[in-house]
Amino acid sequence: MLIAPENGLVKESMITAYILTILKPGSADKAIQEMRKIDHVEKISVVAGEYDIVVRVQVDNLEELLDVTNRIQMIDGVEKTTTQIIEKEIAL
Amino acid sequence: MIIRKKYLFYVLALSSAVANAFASGVDAVVSSLFIHDPWAFGVACFLVGVIIALIFSIILSIRFKDKSLGSKAIDPSFNHLRFIRREEIKYQLLSAFGNAILTIGYYILLSILADPSVVIPFTQMVILYLVLMESITEKDMPTLVEVQSALIVTFGAILGSISFSGDINLLSLAIVFLVINPGWMISSIYQRKLKLLKINGKPNDSLNIRFWNVLFAFLITSGIVLIYDISSGANHLLNGIIYAFRFFNWISIMGIGTFFSLVLYIRALGIGKASVTQAVKSTAIIFSIPVSIILAYLNIIPSFSTDPTMVAIRGIGIILMILGIASYALTLVKAYIFIEMKPGYPILDIMRKLWDIRGVTRVAAVAGKYDFIIKIRTRTLVKGYEKIIRKLNEIEGIKKYKWESVLREWEKL
Repeated sequence: MLIAPENGLVKESMITAYILTILKPGSADKAIQEMRKIDHVEKISVVAGEYDIVVRVQVDNLEELLDVTNRIQMIDGVEKTTTQIIEKEIAL
Repeated sequence: MIIRKKYLFYVLALSSAVANAFASGVDAVVSSLFIHDPWAFGVACFLVGVIIALIFSIILSIRFKDKSLGSKAIDPSFNHLRFIRREEIKYQLLSAFGNAILTIGYYILLSILADPSVVIPFTQMVILYLVLMESITEKDMPTLVEVQSALIVTFGAILGSISFSGDINLLSLAIVFLVINPGWMISSIYQRKLKLLKINGKPNDSLNIRFWNVLFAFLITSGIVLIYDISSGANHLLNGIIYAFRFFNWISIMGIGTFFSLVLYIRALGIGKASVTQAVKSTAIIFSIPVSIILAYLNIIPSFSTDPTMVAIRGIGIILMILGIASYALTLVKAYIFIEMKPGYPILDIMRKLWDIRGVTRVAAVAGKYDFIIKIRTRTLVKGYEKIIRKLNEIEGIKKYKWESVLREWEKL
């Protein structure tokens, strides 16, 4: 039976992950502009601490995650990224 | 589109306030020129409101390049007008009931006081009701800054809209505090719950929420007016329906203002707490000043008081409101905490413990370098930091954690 997407077929296999990035000093503004253009990026937080930018992404499969990670790593000024895949989440 | 969430929230809430000021201006015109029976006016407003909401929801459901107009212009989660979901019914009934109660309270007020503008400012106290209610229903207790800002905005709103033209009596105050404000509170809180509801894994949209809400509120109000008519032998319900069609043009202008005001309000509710949203929306008092000046110029409402005392009081009120809202906007601190665990502690238990810390808005168990990433929200950095870190230290099994304060944030909406 075919069901229209809004009538109950829920995408259960969504993958959500945090990509923690470390940037070269002074490259934050440009890097953010680039990140805002990437599909599947849900949230970009500029943070003060060990990392510089925390990116939250939502993708359909691991291949897409690889693609997003790759695109973030290609951005000028991004020095290092660490990907944390969310296994379970509670939120307000 | 990825944008600063904070800006979006204030843009939405302020636009809602502007639309609200416009709608209440038209409201003043209709009630002073055409419809003098407040009960019938209420029925007419809701009836026209349902028609307006239906027309606009259908127009905004039109698809254009794969996306509906509504999702482009108003709310990205809006797809098309749809039937109410089972999980929504309970919240919609409660929210519409609140809406009906507050409307009826308002009519009773109008019928016992010729000029309700003396007591209406006290409806702004609803912000305090919301702060109190949120401390029970939402996870975080209001902090001192929040209570302070809420008080400043409330007093500002009361001063900014006060008038000394009529007299205050106990009955009218009782209606404001025991009927209108609780109705408003119930309505706001359940509209927020509706907006936060996920429909098939996607966030709920404000257009459908508004449409079903006004429909339910119309039915409930009509029911109450009908009971009142039967018991008193009057004909308010019938008159209301007649008025709705006789003055359709005027009421529909008001209805359009109200519709957009509430749709934007509901969308803002999905982002911020009900009390903060309400506080920003109360700036409608400031935006209503130009509307009142125009109406007074056209001799539709009594002219604006230029008595220096009144002007000073209103001026102080407006300054207080702006200050209060600015302090809401500037005091929110967010942070991530990355946590590494020692082996041998059950993940679900730790998640529960982390979630129970006040101020934690998100707990994610992750695979990678860390074991948990939590998001926190606090109003005062020093106090919040100390409280959260102390609680974190009490949880057994945590090896290391890193606090990363959020400086700026963009979000897809």
